[in-house]
Amino acid sequence: MACIVSPDSSSCYIRHRHLMSHQHTNPISLTRRGLFQQVSTGIGTVALASLLNEDVFSAGETLHSLPHHQPRARSVIHLFMNGGPSQMDLLDPKPELTRHHGEDYFSRIAGEVEFPDAAGSLMRSPFKFAQHGECGMWVSELMPHLATQVDRLALIRSLQTTNLTHEPALYKIHSGSEFTGRPSLGAWVSYGLGTENRNLPAYVVLDDPQGLPVNGVDNWRAGYLPPVHQGTRFRATGSPVLNLRPEASEPDDVRQVERELIARLDRIHRRDRPGRPRLDARIASYELAARMQLAASDALDLSQETAETQRRYGIDQPTTESYGRRCLIARRLVERGVRFVQLFINGQIWDNHSNIGSALKSACDRTDKPIAALLEDLTQRGLLDETLVVWGGEMGRLPISQLTGDNDPGKSGRDHNRNAICTWFAGGGTKAGIVHGTTDELGFSAVEDKVSVPDWHATILHLLGLHHEELFIDRNGLKERLTGVSPARVISNVIA
Amino acid sequence: MVEKLHLLNATVIIIACVVASAAVACVADEAEKSGAFYEAAVADIVTSRCLKCHAANRREGGLDLSTSEGIVAGGDSGVVIDHEKPEASLLLERIVSGEMPPEDEPPLTAEQKAVVRTWIEAGAKFRNPPRHRLVSQHDVIPILLLRCTVCHGTRRQDGGLDLRTRESILKGGNSGPVVVSGKPGESLLIQKIRDEEMPPRRKLVSVSVKPMTDSELKILEAWIRTGLPLAGDAPSNASIAPQTVRDDRRAFWSFVPPSEVTIPLVDDESNNPIDVFVAERLAARGLKIAPPADRQTLLRRVYFDLTGLPPNSEAVDESLQDAMPGDWKRLIERLLASPRYGERWARHWLDAAGYADSEGAQNEDRVRPHLWRYRDYAIRSFNDDKPYDRFLHEQIAGDELADYSNGGEITQEVYDNLVATGFLRTTPDRTFADITNFVPDRLEVIADEMQVFSSAVLGLTLQCARCHDHKFDPLSQRDYYSLTAIFKDAYDEHDWLKSQGPRTLPHVTAAERAEWERQVQQLNEEIASLQKQVDAESSEEQQAPLKTKIDELNSRKPAEPRIRALWSRGQPSPTYLLRRGNYLTPGDIIDPNVPAVLTTEGYVLQPTPPGSDAAVTGRRLALAGWLTRPEHPLTARVLVNRIWRHHFGQGLVATVGNFGTTGSRPSHPELLDWLAMEFVRHDWSVKWLHRQILTSRTWLQSSVILDSHDARGETMSEEERVSLLYGAPLRRMEAEVVRDALLSVAGQLDLTPYGSPDGVTEQPDGLITSSRTAAGWRRSIFVLQRRTKIPTLLENFDAPQMGPNCLERSESTVAPQALHLLNNAMVHDLARHFADRVTTVLADQLSAEPQAQIREVYRLALSRNPTLEEQDAAIVALGQLREHWRKKADATDDSAARNALGSFCHAIMNSAEFLYID
Repeated sequence: MACIVSPDSSSCYIRHRHLMSHQHTNPISLTRRGLFQQVSTGIGTVALASLLNEDVFSAGETLHSLPHHQPRARSVIHLFMNGGPSQMDLLDPKPELTRHHGEDYFSRIAGEVEFPDAAGSLMRSPFKFAQHGECGMWVSELMPHLATQVDRLALIRSLQTTNLTHEPALYKIHSGSEFTGRPSLGAWVSYGLGTENRNLPAYVVLDDPQGLPVNGVDNWRAGYLPPVHQGTRFRATGSPVLNLRPEASEPDDVRQVERELIARLDRIHRRDRPGRPRLDARIASYELAARMQLAASDALDLSQETAETQRRYGIDQPTTESYGRRCLIARRLVERGVRFVQLFINGQIWDNHSNIGSALKSACDRTDKPIAALLEDLTQRGLLDETLVVWGGEMGRLPISQLTGDNDPGKSGRDHNRNAICTWFAGGGTKAGIVHGTTDELGFSAVEDKVSVPDWHATILHLLGLHHEELFIDRNGLKERLTGVSPARVISNVIA
Repeated sequence: MVEKLHLLNATVIIIACVVASAAVACVADEAEKSGAFYEAAVADIVTSRCLKCHAANRREGGLDLSTSEGIVAGGDSGVVIDHEKPEASLLLERIVSGEMPPEDEPPLTAEQKAVVRTWIEAGAKFRNPPRHRLVSQHDVIPILLLRCTVCHGTRRQDGGLDLRTRESILKGGNSGPVVVSGKPGESLLIQKIRDEEMPPRRKLVSVSVKPMTDSELKILEAWIRTGLPLAGDAPSNASIAPQTVRDDRRAFWSFVPPSEVTIPLVDDESNNPIDVFVAERLAARGLKIAPPADRQTLLRRVYFDLTGLPPNSEAVDESLQDAMPGDWKRLIERLLASPRYGERWARHWLDAAGYADSEGAQNEDRVRPHLWRYRDYAIRSFNDDKPYDRFLHEQIAGDELADYSNGGEITQEVYDNLVATGFLRTTPDRTFADITNFVPDRLEVIADEMQVFSSAVLGLTLQCARCHDHKFDPLSQRDYYSLTAIFKDAYDEHDWLKSQGPRTLPHVTAAERAEWERQVQQLNEEIASLQKQVDAESSEEQQAPLKTKIDELNSRKPAEPRIRALWSRGQPSPTYLLRRGNYLTPGDIIDPNVPAVLTTEGYVLQPTPPGSDAAVTGRRLALAGWLTRPEHPLTARVLVNRIWRHHFGQGLVATVGNFGTTGSRPSHPELLDWLAMEFVRHDWSVKWLHRQILTSRTWLQSSVILDSHDARGETMSEEERVSLLYGAPLRRMEAEVVRDALLSVAGQLDLTPYGSPDGVTEQPDGLITSSRTAAGWRRSIFVLQRRTKIPTLLENFDAPQMGPNCLERSESTVAPQALHLLNNAMVHDLARHFADRVTTVLADQLSAEPQAQIREVYRLALSRNPTLEEQDAAIVALGQLREHWRKKADATDDSAARNALGSFCHAIMNSAEFLYID
């Protein structure tokens, strides 16, 4: 089981997979596949042919490893809502909360409150709800655009997490553990499936130009997976990827001569050192670097889209311009075979401890229209079937109010809640127009069909054709998984 | 009612039974009729097949199946029967999966399994229902520790009340007794909790406490109702653990002390035993140790190996002039004596220790302002060749070695001892904030520290045993919690020091403190004199510049020097095994001890407080003493193996952090044992190890193996060659070495060692770089290692994310590396500096011919002369580069020549040879 030649653990992973599937392969080719996995942002076919044994991996095939079972989704767009969107104000209406408005409840949930000093009484939602679509799903007035898409959604109202503080809850939802240092969901997907476009990374992060989310780049790190699997940040303006474009003002001809010289010297170096596949990979990585420059720039070039399309995403409006741009880029990336696209918003606009009436509305205004446009656009292009769109944050909110210093109920917000979270899936093999799970009458906690974060992860992996227990990396002789050692169940009810 | 009881966890069972014992009899009648009693058939099976290990005298896994009470209570993994989910009942699950009885016993027959299943499905009833275990202090104290003792315990006794022991509970507080034995309803303690007055709801987060649950309150009530009985301590680890390791499991190679090795006689001209062991294995394939690499290659290899920097130009000149090999040993000594050696090798240790300059785990990722002292300590220790046994003592128990609290002078030695404990303060830690300082948050920190300790020092995956007995190795949950008990006087989840300010000590050396005081005083005097001038001036206009000056002086005041350390804080709270790793389900009380499999049977760690200070338990000192016994099966082997790995790219045991049964077996077991024993004999000297390795023909081998066949004509993979140690490995520089080498070649490396780390800055596009000093950039080990702000160049080349530590760095080959070296502005700048350096050197020699330039570039960057082929390619390229640069507006012949040389240097910095060490 030891990984002998390459300390890189991905080669171990490949080998385990083969042992598990009882395929006979010789160690050399396995190593080379492992090596290939290392450079899984893709390498040229010519280099491939020299690197890989044809019997194991014929050139021309797509570049990703085989999934465990028939996938329903080819790629994922994760619309991450940092801060904890308030479920009882958006997607989980609570008439009983209205009835009991103003009653005391704090003492019953005192251990579940981040700011006990500021805890108020039960607080009804200030927003109106209505049923929409053929499925009749309830949506608050804050999301008029999403309301037109409900027949495409599988809404889960019963997700629960394990910590009521942002950082641990963010680590949990992104990596399955409350602590830093573990690979993120997107990194696991990249590790398991690789990319379909050899010129683009498998896992792309579209963060907000206005600033990073809480926990910053930790949200998309690769942890102990090979670093190639970490999320690559694409920027909407300027050079899309770090160091993608030369930062020195040298003539193109100079650059060309220099690159040819590097290639020449590396070939000489390699020729004198036979049996060193790492040197082939090294040469290939320079070839890829050149191609990535073109491919990434092309993917981010929104001038190729019609004005009408841009308008539908809200790119013409200041409120929706930024998020709309990222939603449209996300569609262009999945069109090009990027496996996992993750959208972030600066800070935590959903963390509405105060002024929920205006703050929550503002968060919805920034995102509602672009998200609806994305779902519509993916559908029209026939991409929604194979693209899993995921919406949700790291926690929910409490049914009691959180008071501001002057105890003015008009400025109230809601504190964190780990016991009830709304999240939805669309496309990628999920059921359309259904609601899964129930919360109690006040919306404090999920009570039926509870979904844990590992369940949620296992379901996303499942839709991609990956089994959460079989997707592991060998680390120090132990199998590390996204879902860890905790039991996880695929939420079969949301799968079409 | 009774059927239901089996479903619930053990603590609830106790309560329910105490509350409703009357219900048992009637249910028993029903079961009698159905004939589904334990005693009917299951008892025979259990008695004959399970009691060998799971009876009162042995209780493996904390499980006693010899009585109905024991069966209902379950073991360390929780309850074992659940009649609503028969298949999930551990008793059945382990039998069905074949896990129990263990391998060397025949499995149960299908019929026997069916009997057990039927019994559980029918309600798991007993004809003689279990008697109810009395609630004891061991059920109650863990609850009080969780919910009450932060204000009524070690550090605070609010209201004069201490709730840590039965005695102190009975004593009561300022308002009198808090319990009335036999009458929970009349006990103030119960009233306050039931009325939700305690713990005070609005203050919960400020003390990081959650309210008591109803079931916990019931246990407390039951204890008071039954008269606060004291149980004798449950059979503790000390009395039962050594018996739980079977002889065949003890016999696994890494749990057996290294044995004296006879050096085999092989026809070999080397007198280095390493070569003899290696040659022996090679001979089995009809091979011999490969010929040595050429001088220039070896020079480059040994420089990078020992110092992480390219050879200096004098050394290259010597080797090119054929003057070198002369004294290989002298060169090794020179490099081992270089301060650069410690900077290189401490980095390896810091990886294992999980070193970082920030807390992580919180968005702020707060900087740890003092931990750099530990980094410096590690560098100095390697440079001083501090014996490894001493090195471990200081890092595990430095506070117990040092007599620092009696007001005596803080010598360098005392300071070092305290700084060394930073080893146990490295992991991600969010407990500086109240909301992330609850007991589970603290337990994560402890778990990470245990993982760092056990993987780095013992080479074991002990973290697996936090929630259950290790699945593969003979490491029990008891072993895990007995180890945490050793550290408990410093890591007590019920008596916690928050992770920032309180974790530091002021005990820097007298000299450093005096210097700091002098600086502060000098500034204070200057400020005072300025203040007088201010007071003397009447107009604001004249005061303003003086005030500005005062502000400036105030900002220059250096912060108080402090040490981030770990120290004994007195008698800690008792350690309870946490069933399933869950802090809400405490099990048996556990004594401090070391893993049973690594000791002789019956071994009990015997801590002796080292000094007069009663607060010092001596537990960690005893642990260090045990670890560094010459016959310890793991300590020396694990370290020797990691040193080997850094010289050869792979350990003799490939899984450097796992010497357990799922780890690799040693490729050369006798060599490993020989090295381990000699290492100890040579006073645990790491430099001795380097000398032994670097003078072996094995290390000197060429990396160029043209023939990939063995003597029998069988093809050998690279893996096999590495495992046989046939030929030297080709290795890519680690992240820090890439950066340091680029800086060094460009003449921009500032070799100033030690002290506060250099800051990092993040550009709007996310690029992170370190700050420049006046003389260039310092070595990477002196750059701030903030978890969320790893310099991009280092991150691209696999600088690890410490989670919680890193024993084996991955070596990836990805496009961002190429993009960084090709396009990054700083790399371009360094290439221009490199070109200027070449020009300066050649200016002295008055020969600026392209050939001379190319030779100089090769000499400085690659420590050799170019071949003819390379030189030809380079001459053509230089010509073209000059031509293209000349076409640029404003270009002159001179600027074109200079720029062309810069581009050529940039190409060499991008070449594979620059990055890969032969």
